[in-house]
Amino acid sequence: MKTVTLDVNGKVFCLDVPDGELLIETLRDRLGFLGTKYSCLEGDCGVCTVLADGKNVLSCLMLTVEAEGRKITTIEGLGQKDLHPIQQAFIDEGAVQCGFCTPGMILASKSLLDAHPSPTQDEVVHALDGNLCRCTGYVRIVNAVLSAARKMKKTP
Amino acid sequence: MKTTSPVGKSVPRIDARQKVAGEATYVFDLKLPGMLVGKMLRSPHAHARIVKIDTSKAEKLPGVRAVVTAEDTPKIKFGSNEFFFPYTVDQFPLEFEKVRYIGDEVAAVAAIDEETAQKALSLIDVHYEILPAVFSSVEAMKPGAPAIHTAMNNIGVMMPTCFGDPDRALKESDYVREDVFYLQSAAHAALEPHVSIGQYELSTDRITLWSSTQAPFKIREAMAKTLKMQEADVRVIKLNVGGGFGGKLEMFPMDFCACLLSKKSGGLPVKMMCNREEVFSFTRRKHPMIYKLKSGVKKDGTVTAITGEVIADGGAYCSYGPTVIAAAIMRFMMVYKFKNIRLFGSRVYTNNPISGAIRGFGGVQSGFAIESHMDMLARGIGMDPVEFRLKNATDPNMTTVNKMILSSNGLKDCIRKAAEISGWKEKYGVKKETAPGVFRGIGIGIAADVMGSKMYKSHESAGSIIKVEEDGSVYLFTGAADTGQGSDTAMAQIAAHELGVAYERVRIKAADTEITPFDTGSFASRVTFISGNATKNAATDAKRQILEVVAQELKLDIQGLDIKDEQVVARESGRALLSFDQAVILCYSFNYGRLIIGRGNYNPKTTPVDFRTGEGNISGSYGFEAQIAEVEVNTKTGQVKVLKMYDVHDIGYPINPASVHGQIEGSIVMGLGYTLYEDLKFKEGRVVNPLFSKYRIPRSTEMIPIESVFIETNDPQGPFGAKGMGEASLLPTAAAIANAIHDAVGIQIKDLPITPQKILAALKDNENKT
Repeated sequence: MKTVTLDVNGKVFCLDVPDGELLIETLRDRLGFLGTKYSCLEGDCGVCTVLADGKNVLSCLMLTVEAEGRKITTIEGLGQKDLHPIQQAFIDEGAVQCGFCTPGMILASKSLLDAHPSPTQDEVVHALDGNLCRCTGYVRIVNAVLSAARKMKKTP
Repeated sequence: MKTTSPVGKSVPRIDARQKVAGEATYVFDLKLPGMLVGKMLRSPHAHARIVKIDTSKAEKLPGVRAVVTAEDTPKIKFGSNEFFFPYTVDQFPLEFEKVRYIGDEVAAVAAIDEETAQKALSLIDVHYEILPAVFSSVEAMKPGAPAIHTAMNNIGVMMPTCFGDPDRALKESDYVREDVFYLQSAAHAALEPHVSIGQYELSTDRITLWSSTQAPFKIREAMAKTLKMQEADVRVIKLNVGGGFGGKLEMFPMDFCACLLSKKSGGLPVKMMCNREEVFSFTRRKHPMIYKLKSGVKKDGTVTAITGEVIADGGAYCSYGPTVIAAAIMRFMMVYKFKNIRLFGSRVYTNNPISGAIRGFGGVQSGFAIESHMDMLARGIGMDPVEFRLKNATDPNMTTVNKMILSSNGLKDCIRKAAEISGWKEKYGVKKETAPGVFRGIGIGIAADVMGSKMYKSHESAGSIIKVEEDGSVYLFTGAADTGQGSDTAMAQIAAHELGVAYERVRIKAADTEITPFDTGSFASRVTFISGNATKNAATDAKRQILEVVAQELKLDIQGLDIKDEQVVARESGRALLSFDQAVILCYSFNYGRLIIGRGNYNPKTTPVDFRTGEGNISGSYGFEAQIAEVEVNTKTGQVKVLKMYDVHDIGYPINPASVHGQIEGSIVMGLGYTLYEDLKFKEGRVVNPLFSKYRIPRSTEMIPIESVFIETNDPQGPFGAKGMGEASLLPTAAAIANAIHDAVGIQIKDLPITPQKILAALKDNENKT
């Protein structure tokens, strides 16, 4: 057991967790951030993507103790009442079907757009390569990210 | 924002806001007070007799709340096509005599946590007597093969079809050829794993099951039957579902055991969830199939006869076997106006995991076989594949040789349009080397699909209820199961449009067997067509109730009134008489006190398939489509790159164009994976690649440009002219790509997936021949 101080979505939590506990377990089972899904728990699908200091990481491959001292953002932290432009673009472009990959996909897109505000289609496609989607064929997801990038540029 | 008259508009999905905000709840997320963890004990053997099961050690483990085996059950079998095919009812929720595949369920435990449940499984002692097993459909049919059930030669389902005089027609042909096609297994790979929570209420003997399912009412039926309960005492609730694709269309033993374990645990809820390896290994898979076809053609391009055999490896139990065989064979006749046809379909038991429904049923396999075969026939007489298809494709308002009634049919328009937008005439048959050793080619595949199939019950009805509250809010209750395809949105659009209100007004409650009307489920591309009609009828009924009050109040003839864009209007002049809100308040006012509750149902005019002949009008209407692939083949590496797919689809009328395009794009990319690399592999009945790292599904980097065009035939039966379309776009993809590869480099690959190794081997073969 270790005592960790976690910063999730700007809120600070002090928790006792086993050394081997995964960040995804802490987020979902202890803190109730159920927006973060998982699909394989082996780092293959990208569904459990969250942001650590703004960079996309797989919460099934990160131990909770490793997350200490880093700012963790889950989909709940990105926007719920007021949606982030990427979330809005996913709605407007029809990029959501079953929605199970959506939170991870949106956070991976956020990580990309923060680092590269005007990505090319090729850059978007490569940035999302680790996030699987079985419904959409990715077409509308990529359109949504490009559209969000354009909108975010207009309204800084 | 208000969207009035929403049908035909790409309104945002009704569930999109919750999904992008992380607030959409799936059964995966659900936690109930006191919830236990359930786990299944599965057979490690492909075929064995169960001698003895000893659960005593597991029961004594601290933290274990319940252990169940078949002895705790009424020992009643279930199947997925029970009504018309009672002989396919072949699976016990927990087996006690034999196990027939690696993964067959023999016991289950419920414990306070995952670790304890896992440990309890290891403490259950099952004594097996191993039996000889068989893993190939061809071997399983041979005399002397191990008998898996009682079916002769292990053929669980057969469907002989014969129309016309194929033998004479073959003799009268100018060109005859024989081909054999091999299709591999594949996985649905929905991202939400199979998951359910069962809770038994001891005081009333009722159960509630929350399940990630495509067919809540189907589970209710199987659950009630196998637990020997009344359907009224089984409640199945569906929440958001993280994808299905046919893989969540049945009751699974884990659903059954979740409820039974809850009963034995004193009513505590029990959650059962597959991990990814279990989803790949023990749920359902695509039928591996073999097509042996022999067909003839006249010089003018008329196909004279098609004959052959269709053999499907069904695995250990029947599941949706009859539907798959029917879909595989009947599809031939939806697409082409064959007069002489003889096909013998067999679904064969093996000791492999259970084959079942997967997007397209057997249509994807048939799509590859027949569309590749047709190209080869066309080449045999030197005819352009597009011309060849136009010559043989079915027409509108015709009855096929097996009595399917094709009313609206845009197939030929689809073919012509696809050829036009792809630049077929300029590209086909033109050798084009774009880089040293890299050749470009173009190929076509066409398809047809059902929207519903009378395979599950004597009726195919779906129902909807619409209530309009005093404040003008509109609630739609439907049993239709949205699994991500967008049916909730389409239903809300249909309801709003017909009722004359804005789309944003509609709240939808979908799929709770205790609350919503019956619906057979999300399969066979049936929801928009069947549930959509039911919803439209419910809205018509609600509207009539409102207009009755308005007519009485204003002393007008109800025939002259309508509701449009949130206003009650005079039909002829279009003049607004009062707002929708005012009209509803009037209904609820003390002079009338009329609660508005509309109801609707729809049962398409169909006939069941006669498995002795292959006759039957299984669908209320049929959808059609043509696909053209442009590829580049690298003759040095064997790599195939799909440059672009052109898809032209007769969708009747698009309720939500963005949703329809989304379905088509998703289908094509799924088809691309199946064509080029997806391959669920088995070694002596065990799945050897049950991980996303080993079973590759398409990634964003494999996304391809897709040009998708609709042909609007405005189906006379469809709600607002719409047809179902969730599966058809997957059917022709593999053949379109395979045919394009032939156009590029002159080789026709007849077994999927088309790997670089197969390309290189075929190229070498070709070289040796010339």
